[in-house]
Amino acid sequence: MQTTPATPDTELQADNLRRAAIDKSVKGPVLFLFINGAFWLMLSTLLGVLSAVVLVEPAFIPNLANFLASWGAPRFLVDSAAESLTYGRLQPAHINALVYGWGLQAALGVMLWIMARRSGQELRTGKSLMLVAGVFWNITISFGILAILMGKSTSIEWLEMPKFVWPVLLGCFLCYAWPIARMFGRAFRPEGFMVSTWYILAACFWFTWIFITANVALHCLPGLGALGAGIDAWYIHGVILLFFVPVGVGAAYYFIPKITGQPIASAQLASAGFWTLAVLGGWTGMQKYMGGPLPAWMTAVGACTGVLLLVPVGLVGLNHHLTTLGKHSAVATSPTLRFVFFGALFYPVSGLILALNSTFWTGSALQFTQSWYSFQMVSVYGFFSMCAFGAIYYIVPRLAGCEWLSVRLIRNHFWFSVYGVGTIVIMSLVAGWQQGSDLNDPAHWDQNFLNQVMNSRPYVVSRAVAWALISFSNFMFLIHLLLMVAGLGRRSSAPTLLHREHDEHASPVHA
Amino acid sequence: MSASVNPDSTDLDRLHAAVKREKEDLSPESKPAPLWAIFLLMLVAIVAGDQLGPMTGGWSFNVSNPFALAGGGDPRPGGAGAGGALDPFAVAMKKGAGGYAVCGGCHQGNGNGIPGQFPPLAGSEWVTGGTERLVRVVQHGLTGAITVKGQGFNMPGGMQPFGAAMSAQDLANVLTYIRNSWGNEGTMITQEMVKKVRDEEKRATQWTEADLKPFADKNCAGDIPAGPGAAPAAK
Repeated sequence: MQTTPATPDTELQADNLRRAAIDKSVKGPVLFLFINGAFWLMLSTLLGVLSAVVLVEPAFIPNLANFLASWGAPRFLVDSAAESLTYGRLQPAHINALVYGWGLQAALGVMLWIMARRSGQELRTGKSLMLVAGVFWNITISFGILAILMGKSTSIEWLEMPKFVWPVLLGCFLCYAWPIARMFGRAFRPEGFMVSTWYILAACFWFTWIFITANVALHCLPGLGALGAGIDAWYIHGVILLFFVPVGVGAAYYFIPKITGQPIASAQLASAGFWTLAVLGGWTGMQKYMGGPLPAWMTAVGACTGVLLLVPVGLVGLNHHLTTLGKHSAVATSPTLRFVFFGALFYPVSGLILALNSTFWTGSALQFTQSWYSFQMVSVYGFFSMCAFGAIYYIVPRLAGCEWLSVRLIRNHFWFSVYGVGTIVIMSLVAGWQQGSDLNDPAHWDQNFLNQVMNSRPYVVSRAVAWALISFSNFMFLIHLLLMVAGLGRRSSAPTLLHREHDEHASPVHA
Repeated sequence: MSASVNPDSTDLDRLHAAVKREKEDLSPESKPAPLWAIFLLMLVAIVAGDQLGPMTGGWSFNVSNPFALAGGGDPRPGGAGAGGALDPFAVAMKKGAGGYAVCGGCHQGNGNGIPGQFPPLAGSEWVTGGTERLVRVVQHGLTGAITVKGQGFNMPGGMQPFGAAMSAQDLANVLTYIRNSWGNEGTMITQEMVKKVRDEEKRATQWTEADLKPFADKNCAGDIPAGPGAAPAAK
């Protein structure tokens, strides 16, 4: 909401109280989502380590089971664990925990808080429904991921959880999306209100549309054949480009000016960036099956759009660049800005990797390789999650009524995350390039396929190490968040900053 | 609230500190976008349009080959030609070049061998002559004194049966390669020819020059699908 600093003190005071009241009204649902999301993130990263280890060393789990059995663990227990913890089950469990456990919950929490603040509306009704929906969401995902580990996966990428899961998830999502949309509807909308808000509002509608379309098509329409695979690829790109990207961009548009005190550089660029994303986001994905048994125009349109999406990416990146120009010192100080800034830097990277995967020229080498994992991770973790972490570092002190305990925990969380996700993204991209060009090289026609698989082992080893770093960082994040929510944070009126100000002239930065 | 339990929580200033230190929300400005950025975005649009180009298959639901409009061939640089079957002779030469690594240790990369030790392959009548003899030499090995291009060679131990360890296709490829490199020209040796010799001849010892005399000018029976001396009918 718009505040005017020149007004008398009482008016400012009233505005402060209004914002505090808004924070209080969304406290329950938002903190619930953040904590549960952080637990799922912890689980997901551990599964990420395990699945990368198992991909390199398939005998790891059976050996571990035998070892545990020799130490007296019950035979049937370790044997069933060894049977269910194979790569084919661990990898989907890892991705589903990341997307539905962490990603969607963190996103909904951030969306709810930003929309409440931007619209100046307290959350009056629907709070208990939100909490119930949140509980159902978590129980459903727990069943879904257990089902994947027990071999009941649907084998549809990103929709591996059994059929019964999706109507429940949809209902729970709407319990959050509807009040968020209502807040937008009731809000007084001054100039510039839309910049971050329209991304949040659009994410509510876009996810609903994509989720219903993909699930109805894949679970209810018979005889799709090869088109089903194309729809699934479209769904994955849709969730990334029309849900995770808008929430990340919306958060960046909110927090960057809020913390640097600089207005967004260009309202026109912001508008153009939003509408190009809105128009293009739903057209891409099918290029994953270029040259495959889909009508050629579908993959061609997907490839064209995959490249064209560099336009909204570029417009948003340019706008952030123009906004933060000369204000980078705040990045060293504010935890929120540091996470959001680096998250926003990963956005252009994700756009470039999508374009590389999409064009026929490079895609012919990258198709069906680890580079697609690289794109998923750079968007979901590098971009979206980093922005969500930044938002959480800003929001939680306002809701919990205390300040973050430890600069060191935040700093470690940041650096291990950045190095971890950077390693995963670069290594998967290079691995994909090597896999693909080796397979395409005519001189390798007489090579055994298994050799190619073995050649990518070092990259997977580095992926395991990187996920281990990220697990470590998330462990610290989880502990920190739990302490905050328990009210054990610092009792102080000063924010937790990463650097003390050395420069007397620098303007004070607020986290 | 629970003031007596936690006196801290009555501190209104501290509770609202985070809200009070917040900066106000600002309206966005209207800075102009730099021109180079607009040009970059145009480049993006051009590359994107390139993906549509000939790859759409005429917007037909019945065409799944992205190269259909380009006559079935792959229009990208380095793409596989007009989509027809690859020339078997060219494939054999390409793969044979890789297989020659086994032979090159003695006969050298330039096919000239080493005078007094290893006989040459370039211009050798053993290589360009009858294919029956050539297949047998590589399949079973050769020992004792031999004469190549008028020079005598007698390598202790002779040549080992390297071909026995190769698949028929690999052996055929490498033989086709040596018959058509370094100025040599000879008919292709196919997988079928090698298999036929393997079926006929089961000896476990190396050949000598005298043993091989009867095969010196005999060629293996079989179709020659491509390359020098290819039968037009077999094409």
